[in-house]
Amino acid sequence: MADMIIGSQPIQVPKSAQASGAAPGAGAGEGGFKSILKNAIEDVNTLQFQADDAVAKLQMGKGSMHEALIAMEKASLSFQTLLQVRNKIVDAYQEVMRMQV
Amino acid sequence: MDFATNFKICGSGLAAQRAKMDVVSSNLANAGTTKTEEGGPYRRKMVILKAEPVRERFDRTLEDALAEVKVDQVTEDPTPMKSIYDPAHPDADEKGFVLMPNVNAIQEMADMINVGRSYEAVVTAFDAVKSMALKTLEIGK
Repeated sequence: MADMIIGSQPIQVPKSAQASGAAPGAGAGEGGFKSILKNAIEDVNTLQFQADDAVAKLQMGKGSMHEALIAMEKASLSFQTLLQVRNKIVDAYQEVMRMQV
Repeated sequence: MDFATNFKICGSGLAAQRAKMDVVSSNLANAGTTKTEEGGPYRRKMVILKAEPVRERFDRTLEDALAEVKVDQVTEDPTPMKSIYDPAHPDADEKGFVLMPNVNAIQEMADMINVGRSYEAVVTAFDAVKSMALKTLEIGK
């Protein structure tokens, strides 16, 4: 999540959305954007699991309260960030769909 | 998320203050203890903190300047024990004096307030960082 820099990566148009004769995007490797997004989602998921672990530890009498709460805050923040990224992607998609052909 | 570094620092601060509070509680609980495993009355404990650099990345000078707080050691207060006259006490010497712990309840209360305020300060800093992070997400809304 920390190093997720969407802006610096060329956003690939999904294959299905490309015109049939168009050449694939130059320089963009197979699933460049896809793998970034996938890694980001996995990172967020890991943080959620860590928060769950911290809470479970707290309930078992191990671990401390502030650690659990910090883990929860981390998970919440990373999820909020992912949500914003998703909103931007959906916005971009809708912008494309509104285009007059 | 670079805010994670700050979360780590705040977490270390909270852990350190909690450790101090543990020691204050131990001192207060044992203010009248005359028997210990080492023999003699309970000796007042003190927490010594030390700064530990947050080294996540070596290429950043700021990261080297930042420091977490860690409990370095728990030392014992060398001040002399209080001697009270209580001939009926089983730990009394032949003159009837008992050595009591060198714990001063008023000092412990002052320490407790200090620790509580420090803890609150760290929590406030954490909240400030969190609201900063949430504000960042509002960019471009």
